[in-house]
Amino acid sequence: MVLRRKRLSEGLTVTQKVFVRSRNGGATKIVREHYLRNDIPCLSRACKKCIHIVVPDAKNELPNFVLSESPQKLTDGRKHYVVLDANIVLQAIDLLENPECFFDVIVPQIALDEIRNVSYPIYTRLRALCRDSNDSKRVVVFHNEFNENTYVERQPDETINDRNDRAIRRTCSWYADHLKEDEINILLVTNDRGNLERAIEEGLEAKSLADYIDLLPQSDHIKDALPNMDTFASRDKDVEARSEFKFPDYYSTARVMGGIKSGVLYQGSVQISEYNFLEGLVSLPNFSKPVLILGQKNLNRAFNGDQVVVELLPQSEWKAPSTVALDSEHFDVNDNPDADEGQNDREDEISDKQRRLLVQDAIQTQKSGRIQPTARVVSITRRSWRQYVGQLATNSVDLQNGGTQNAFVILMDKCLPKIRIRTRRARELLNKRIVIAVDSWPDAYKYPLGHFVRELGEVESVEAETEALLLEHNVEYQPFSKRVLECLPGEGSNWKAPENISDPDAITKDPLLAKRRDLRDKLICSIDPPGCVDIDDALHAKQLPNGNWEVGVHIADVTHFVKANTPLDAEGASRSTSVYLVDKRIDMLPMLLGTNLCSLKPYVDRYAFSVLWELDDNANIVSVDFTKSVIRSREAFSYEQAQMQIDDQSRTDELTQGMRALLQLSIKLKQQRLDAGALNLASPEVKVHMDSETSDPGEVEVKKLLATNSLVEEFMLLANQSVARKIYDAFPQTAMLRRHAAPPATNFENLNEMLQLRKGMSISTESSKALAASLDRCVDPSDPYFNTLVRIISTRCMMAAQYFYSGAYSYADYRHYGLAVGIYTHFTSPIRRYCDVVAHRQLAGAIGYEPLDLTHRDKNKMEFLCRNMNKKHRNAQFAGRASIEYYVGQVMRNNESVETGYVIRVFHNGIVVLVPKFGVEGLIRLENLTDDEQAAEFKAEEFKLSFKPKGSESPKDIFVFDKVNVQVKSVLDPVTSKRKTQLLLR
Amino acid sequence: MSRLEIYSPEGLRVDGRRWNELRRFECSINTHANASDGSSYLEQGNNKIITLVNGPQEPKLRSHTNATKAVLTVSVNITRFSKTERSKSSHRNERRVLEMQTALVRTFEKNILMHLYPRTQIDIQIHVLQQDGGLMGSLINGITLALIDAGIAIYDYISGVSIGLYDTTPLLDLNTVEENAMSSVTLGVMGRSEKLSLLLVEDKLALDRMESVLAIGIAGAHRIRDLMDKELRKHGEKRLANVSSNQ
Repeated sequence: MVLRRKRLSEGLTVTQKVFVRSRNGGATKIVREHYLRNDIPCLSRACKKCIHIVVPDAKNELPNFVLSESPQKLTDGRKHYVVLDANIVLQAIDLLENPECFFDVIVPQIALDEIRNVSYPIYTRLRALCRDSNDSKRVVVFHNEFNENTYVERQPDETINDRNDRAIRRTCSWYADHLKEDEINILLVTNDRGNLERAIEEGLEAKSLADYIDLLPQSDHIKDALPNMDTFASRDKDVEARSEFKFPDYYSTARVMGGIKSGVLYQGSVQISEYNFLEGLVSLPNFSKPVLILGQKNLNRAFNGDQVVVELLPQSEWKAPSTVALDSEHFDVNDNPDADEGQNDREDEISDKQRRLLVQDAIQTQKSGRIQPTARVVSITRRSWRQYVGQLATNSVDLQNGGTQNAFVILMDKCLPKIRIRTRRARELLNKRIVIAVDSWPDAYKYPLGHFVRELGEVESVEAETEALLLEHNVEYQPFSKRVLECLPGEGSNWKAPENISDPDAITKDPLLAKRRDLRDKLICSIDPPGCVDIDDALHAKQLPNGNWEVGVHIADVTHFVKANTPLDAEGASRSTSVYLVDKRIDMLPMLLGTNLCSLKPYVDRYAFSVLWELDDNANIVSVDFTKSVIRSREAFSYEQAQMQIDDQSRTDELTQGMRALLQLSIKLKQQRLDAGALNLASPEVKVHMDSETSDPGEVEVKKLLATNSLVEEFMLLANQSVARKIYDAFPQTAMLRRHAAPPATNFENLNEMLQLRKGMSISTESSKALAASLDRCVDPSDPYFNTLVRIISTRCMMAAQYFYSGAYSYADYRHYGLAVGIYTHFTSPIRRYCDVVAHRQLAGAIGYEPLDLTHRDKNKMEFLCRNMNKKHRNAQFAGRASIEYYVGQVMRNNESVETGYVIRVFHNGIVVLVPKFGVEGLIRLENLTDDEQAAEFKAEEFKLSFKPKGSESPKDIFVFDKVNVQVKSVLDPVTSKRKTQLLLR
Repeated sequence: MSRLEIYSPEGLRVDGRRWNELRRFECSINTHANASDGSSYLEQGNNKIITLVNGPQEPKLRSHTNATKAVLTVSVNITRFSKTERSKSSHRNERRVLEMQTALVRTFEKNILMHLYPRTQIDIQIHVLQQDGGLMGSLINGITLALIDAGIAIYDYISGVSIGLYDTTPLLDLNTVEENAMSSVTLGVMGRSEKLSLLLVEDKLALDRMESVLAIGIAGAHRIRDLMDKELRKHGEKRLANVSSNQ
């Protein structure tokens, strides 16, 4: 078909873009209009022509000419701009972000589109680079597809990729021609050999990425950061010679699509076992239990969290989950990073028909016994690759070699394999925490290839370890940007609530002030952990003339300062939660708001969002009211101070009376909740005390609870429920809520079996009430800690609570299982959680305070917010725990001791012991238990491991739940230089 | 996540237009002189529409007669092949199409000098051959042209256009891709005035943005009016030349 072009006006031409799209197997021809124009500037400051053609945008702003008139010179002294193709950006985005190289970069639109299709995160990173790097890096997008001079039509018999490569070359030649007078050279960087050769044929300057870096004056610094691809240099080597070891090939896309459709292949995400890195589980929709994937070949290069397609293995290969504990760092320790070896065994092919029969068997088998169906990975739909933190494996580094060498990096996440990188600085980087990125995993390599990104610092130094764990948990910890800080009130810390809220001057400044209620006469106080600076909530209670109680919960009015659709709001939404580490807090909102303007500090006027109830003597709600308010907190108590003041009978002032009333009401509320079936679960959490002068960790303490803790908690729960109901009424489709699904009974199977066998007890999972009651019955009179232990293990069997918007589930599924309430949200901590910010805005909309922003009424946007919140919330928890773990390790480093521990899992080659005092658990390997490993006997069905302890002849049996004495010490693993708790049986 | 940049930071839309640019607009009238009293063929972007006007004529059913003014009927035929994928239904009695017909009748009842044609019926038939977003606006333009061709008295041109709101930027004359990605408004504007004979909002739209959306919409509709006017005058001159040469 010949496409006609039609000139519409001076500088605007229209043509048609025709392409075929396949969807669900059918082909559709799509015709779209495509406008070509001559007013797209080159964006170079050196150019004197483009300044005359630019037109303003909708905000009446002219485009910003970014590219420098005196760009960086190559080693041969010529000034140059760089044009990139899509693959370079996809492979080397880290390098692009590196402040030491890649200045004055032109990204053609066609490359940008491809990047967006392949990886949205990389696209956003590139866009952020364009936006924020005006004066330092200077990256621009050139819309070559819309420019009439650079648009190319697809030739007959030309593939779309060839056409796109030609479009990029055309862009280069246009730029080269355009900037000829200014003596700026255009350099095309591409790793595609065909494109490279053709570009040179056409008289353009083109280089591969490695060659380009070589041309830069500062190339030595950045060579290490080059992505490690199986590039044509190594491909040219005799492949046969190296590939004794080879992973199975992935299936073709067509075969995968067909297989999924016909029910032979299944798709799911891999979860690698934390005890054995060669064992993975994939949850599939048709199966009641996850399907097992065993061994390197079957996992076929899948990373933890990857989306994969799997195929079931023949029944003869079905196995029970492995009872061996295996760490990646101790596995194949002596592998040579320069070699790749292994053996090749092909398995017997079975037909699709047989495979379908297999599915039936698989489901049957899952229901019956311990043997589980196994599968193998045949394709990877989406990689979960990100930047990882790790350190060089000492024994993989050749200390004599000063040049570039291959080395293994052992990642902090023990579910992941070693990464092979090429570096010149191996010797320098030993004993440092480093950040690396994974580039590829060709089938002939036993380990994935990656490249060095940057170093964090010495292993074991506080800064490096803290940054490492923040990076590992994907926590955004950079300081707030200027754009975000500009959204804060201009008065800064001098901001004050107006004296009189009906003052006409103040109302003209803030028209919403008239809708605020003045609650400064109420005797309000806050109760928080000691040293708390971001005070979210405050309370008050007062007896009403009719004998009922007026109770108020006042929450910091964050949304007064954080308006929707501002950069501040976007930053908050992206961080989603504050992260609490032992020695550090990563704030969701800037300090000024979190610890000052929003924080409900005592003795000053603060804006609040108040929930006011009338409660009767039995703590039943008579009525509830929501209002924005101005309050003045009378006192900020710590839990202990509050407890003391309540207990001090000599205090009879109104504030203390109010607190006593709150305590009484909270006890009744708690009872109501427990009666309804709220769970009382436990976690082995501990707190680390820091020495205030040296800021060295001092001692470890198990967290304890005071009555005042639950005083605050109960009223927060009540407020959250009341708000949840209100916003659900107002916005039935998009209310911001939180749910906790009931755990599937299968989660408890293992625990129940262990309990049944060892203690003759069982846990009922019919309802949360039954579960709570059965947990209460799990008491071992001889051991008071046993009950807590069962609670800790059952907590791990629970589902995670999640944020969601009301349209995503039906009303019955809104239930919060753990709290035993029908509908729930988070409203009470807007300073440190973004969910609460959304709930505040929705409540403000529901009570007619101000109209709700559209983003919180749009299901898709809410879905996006919720997914991010859930992810960030989980990461924050993990980061917090990792921080505690690190500090506990530091504490134990100084004092070795013998403590009581409990066996919580028994393996073929070791036992897992939990030590309550430090909240740590660790694997004790068989080789550390006995001298004679062969004589040890493991009985899976009895959860028993028998062996002869060291230095003794009489065999010893260890069962699950056994109480043991262990020697606890912290050791630095020589292979991984990770500090680990080492437990030894006494 | 959408696979396309709907509106790039550089200020370009998916098809290469800027925020305030119309699509290609081509029209002709008297295309089906034998089949109708007035007709038009319109291409607005990839929307391709034939409009036929019959009447004023005697009502086919006596019950439809109104003694004081004419009766207007509009039927919209969206062909099965008009979208990228062939649809299974004929769209004939679809709620969406019926609503469009009613909206069009209401729009033009006020614009035609109906009292000049008592006891008659004016039938408008529309065939949508291809559609690519902003259909309602194109239908209005097609009807205006066909009515003029039929010589039916109207107060003024009505020109229709759709406007979307992407984040905070109003975008003029949406195509399908854009229409699916954002909330949009369709306007029908009387001649060169700022009077609206149609304001169709089917999505949620922030009220405080409405003003900027209307402003760009009205400006765009005026440009369409001028394009239609130019075509009509060209056609008029051609007819006149024919008449004078035949004499």
